[in-house]
Amino acid sequence: MILIKCPYCGERDQSEFSNGGEAHVIRPKNPGSLSDKDWGEYVFYRNNPKGIFYERWVHSHGCKKWFNAVRNTSTDQILRVYKVNEKRPDLSDFKNTLKSPSGEPLVGSGNFAVKK
Amino acid sequence: MSAINNNCEYISKKQIKIIFDGKTYEAYDGDTIASALLRNNIRLVGRSFKYHRPRGIYTCGIEEPNALVQIISEHNEPNTRATIKRVYDGMEITSQNRWPSLRYDFGAINNILSPIFSAGFYYKTFMGPKGFWKNLYEPLIRRSAGLGKPPKNFRSKSTHQYHNTDVVIIGGGLSGLAAAKKFINTKYKVLLIEQDSYLGGVLKNSNKIKTINGLTPQEWISETEELILNSKNINILKNTLVTTYNFTNHLIALEDKFAGKKIDLNKSELTLHKIRTSNTIIANGHIERFISFRNNDLPGVMLASSFEKYIHRYGVVPEKEPVIFTNNSSSLSLLKTLISLGCKPKAYVDSRKKDNIETEIKKILKDKEIPFFSDAEIEGCDGNKKVETIFIRQGKSFTKLKSSMLCVSGGYNPDIHLFTQSKGLVKWDKNILSFKPDTPFQKTITLGSTSGNYNFKKLCDEINEKLSIFKTKKVSLDINLNVPNKFSIKELWETKKKNNSNWSKSFIDLHNDVTTKDLKQAITEGFDRIEHLKRYTTNSMGTDQGKISSINSLAIVSKMLKKEISEVGTTTYRPPYAPLSFAAIAGRSTYEFYDPERKTSIHSWHLKNNAVFEDVGQWKRPWYFKASENETMHQAVQRESKMLRENAGILDGSTLGKIEIKGRDALEFMNLMYTNAFSKMKPMTSRYAMMLGEDGMIKDDGIICKISDQHFIATTTSSGAPKVLADMEEYLQTEWPHLQVYLNSITEQFSTFNISGPKTREIMMKVFPNIDFSNDAFPFMTFKNFDYKETKIRIMRASFTGELGYEIYIPPKFGLELWEEIFSCGKEYNLIPYGTETMHLLRAEKGYIVIGQETDGTVTPIDLNYNWMIGKNKKDFIGKRSLSRPDTSREDRKQLVGLLPINKKDIIEEGQHIVELNELPKKITNPIKYLGHVSSGYHSPNLNHSIGLAMIRGGKNLLGQKFFVTATGKTKNIPVEIVNPVFIDPENKRLTS
Repeated sequence: MILIKCPYCGERDQSEFSNGGEAHVIRPKNPGSLSDKDWGEYVFYRNNPKGIFYERWVHSHGCKKWFNAVRNTSTDQILRVYKVNEKRPDLSDFKNTLKSPSGEPLVGSGNFAVKK
Repeated sequence: MSAINNNCEYISKKQIKIIFDGKTYEAYDGDTIASALLRNNIRLVGRSFKYHRPRGIYTCGIEEPNALVQIISEHNEPNTRATIKRVYDGMEITSQNRWPSLRYDFGAINNILSPIFSAGFYYKTFMGPKGFWKNLYEPLIRRSAGLGKPPKNFRSKSTHQYHNTDVVIIGGGLSGLAAAKKFINTKYKVLLIEQDSYLGGVLKNSNKIKTINGLTPQEWISETEELILNSKNINILKNTLVTTYNFTNHLIALEDKFAGKKIDLNKSELTLHKIRTSNTIIANGHIERFISFRNNDLPGVMLASSFEKYIHRYGVVPEKEPVIFTNNSSSLSLLKTLISLGCKPKAYVDSRKKDNIETEIKKILKDKEIPFFSDAEIEGCDGNKKVETIFIRQGKSFTKLKSSMLCVSGGYNPDIHLFTQSKGLVKWDKNILSFKPDTPFQKTITLGSTSGNYNFKKLCDEINEKLSIFKTKKVSLDINLNVPNKFSIKELWETKKKNNSNWSKSFIDLHNDVTTKDLKQAITEGFDRIEHLKRYTTNSMGTDQGKISSINSLAIVSKMLKKEISEVGTTTYRPPYAPLSFAAIAGRSTYEFYDPERKTSIHSWHLKNNAVFEDVGQWKRPWYFKASENETMHQAVQRESKMLRENAGILDGSTLGKIEIKGRDALEFMNLMYTNAFSKMKPMTSRYAMMLGEDGMIKDDGIICKISDQHFIATTTSSGAPKVLADMEEYLQTEWPHLQVYLNSITEQFSTFNISGPKTREIMMKVFPNIDFSNDAFPFMTFKNFDYKETKIRIMRASFTGELGYEIYIPPKFGLELWEEIFSCGKEYNLIPYGTETMHLLRAEKGYIVIGQETDGTVTPIDLNYNWMIGKNKKDFIGKRSLSRPDTSREDRKQLVGLLPINKKDIIEEGQHIVELNELPKKITNPIKYLGHVSSGYHSPNLNHSIGLAMIRGGKNLLGQKFFVTATGKTKNIPVEIVNPVFIDPENKRLTS
């Protein structure tokens, strides 16, 4: 259970929140004008990176507000939270925080508990 | 050769009685089961997992692999570690995994058959024939292999407790206490957690330390504990085991509230502590490991430090003349302890060269004339259910000794379990021959032997240095030792057997009966990765997680693979540290607290009128009402359905979700959320509406009431209400924040009754004499608000049965009163209550769908032929674009149709397949072409034959055609005709007149 800092309520246990998948996927203004491929990408395609990920959370057992978070998916560290109407933080802000548990490589899920 | 008592302040001299395998024994208050049994000279306490070999007490703590027992007096709690479970008067215990008795166990035949039970035996052997696994192999294996029997049903009262602290110190031993001392009267909030019921760790378990700061260990513990207790910022939890170290310094610890006491069923027996901390100090010490040799599992073989712990902590000397076998310098304290008690070891076997052995040890052995074997090892031991003879190899010569106990020390492993759970990195240390913590991933500090520091003299500096990040004063520890300052060890994991035999075993995992031979075989078969090898051999996969043996197996494997141990790596340490009861995890969330039940305001009436309930989400809804004691569900539903279409029936629909939508842009919002067009809809009218996902699939349905363009009320399915509200809220906040709309769940603000049937209008006029219910004044799909007594009600004309119907909304406070009023007025019209099953039958007759029954997340409104519900002129709504995706516009999608049996006596069952064959082949060789499935099937009492709704590929173009429906347990299929899915009143005359 990680701690998540709701931008409205403050730090709370993860069990109070629900994850809403990738953030900054904007619903097209005029879906009718989109090709099947473009629409299909909006509906079905999401990124799932190992590392820095911009994602949505909702404080579902709290204030019920949606907000965005930047999480390092390989360490589960939440690096930043921001309101929906706030600007997306730049990727370069998190350059130095890119570490993974036990120093494992960014790709693959090795078991490296032992320091080399 | 028998045990003797030693004076010990942790054990009271109060004698109590315990029962083990039916016999009564005397024990002391404060004993564990293991110390009590040793006191009574009982060495054989269980049978092993696979080979049913006789096993005894191997350790004196949480690491125990063998001595697992079942506590009869605690609802048969199985797999309890005898080495930590404290006894109380009258405690009843049995041994496990033996039949008919511990001494004469039938399953021991597995030991004789053992050469065939090697690694991977199950995978290789139980391959077929078909059905044998389920019916023969698995029940047989489950019977003979295993642990205790499941416990009896009981209601646990365990609780959860939450903590937020600055520092958690895990382990109240020497390092933990010294660390806690630093925090006395500081601003830090500290929690000190100790697994035992006494603080002190190594200080109370051994005589390794003579004095601290001039005090005896016991005096120092008492003084320190008192200082801590007087300091308001430090709390101590005893009898508490930290089992889990999660991310963000979240710890889980289990407290046994009844250690050494009989459980009081009215009190909480376990507390699960959930701790959030800023810093964690791990000082949970070390675990001694064993050495593999022939028959190293015989009762009587025990770890050396455990033997010493029984003497100091529990006041029992299990044997006066044991043989000591060691590869390191720490066994000196056991030697000294025994000598001080007037006992004399039978022999001292040290694998180190004579020159490397400490002078002090050699001097004692010489003075006391104890047989001394240096540069030697134990080849093995023999005996019937106990150690009887011991074989010592020194060079090429063998010495045979008679002794009943063998104390083994293979070195010490820092207890890195919690540290690696926290994702810290460990590193191999050549000086102590073990892994020790290296880089922490979280704010974790390890102290003392946990950190690989086996030098007591350096402990003080270590603590002061590592805790210098805190604003605390320095501590000083002046320690006088009984053991050598410098830890010395020689690598030894397994001794060589004299003769090779298929039956001679040297174990690497005592709990799961894995031998060193199994490791070799697995590697030969190609399982050379440690994680594969672990799973193939089940090495260190027992409930002890290989605490005394896992490093040994890594070492043996690395030797075979000719690699460094650090290259082989460790397997992953996963929580929990030691098994914990599910009851503790569940806490109070059991029985009625597990999932709350929601009941409507009419619930008491339903109970009185013999309703049988169905769970819908958390709601309790009447399923059907029993007219008489013997009426079956089928009879009741047939009766209710017929009565309703003849007279009238009423359903408690209070569980339907209700959401109020208000605000300047409510109309625009509703047009976006639902498929239907609401713009031209007149105020105070209602409409059946559907909500889709962006993929075009139906998510929910309900009736939308439009009060004005700024005010709507939407009903949802009973179980879909929270999700619909959450989805609406999500779109409002994330996609359309410019819309000014407010949402409010009003499900519980109204009791809702659905009354329908041909006599409904008469009943309504009688209940509400002032309201005009004529068709002109109150047409279908309109609603009105009225004053009723001291409250307000809303009545809507709508129906889910296909008959004339009204829905009444009233505040729940007045619900029951109105419900009873309706019944007294409806009596002369034969008004009946009906449940959800009748509702389902009636709507199926009318061809209305149910979300989750006809739909399954892959159905669009077009598939249901509900094109009329789609606001085609609307530019956009959720899912609109998806209705013209190539996949959703396919002609051969599964579409909704009705089914009629050609032979009217045939019954169409829900869930059956629709096929082209009138009979299934006896043996199916090729796949049978599948056209679709029956989504609803009922016997219609009003048509007097079976009807069905089905989802069939390209169904819309198949009307009038003949197909077949499969039937349970038969190869002969039922011929059916595909028809329009409306069986009653297709012109909607009943609804609208």
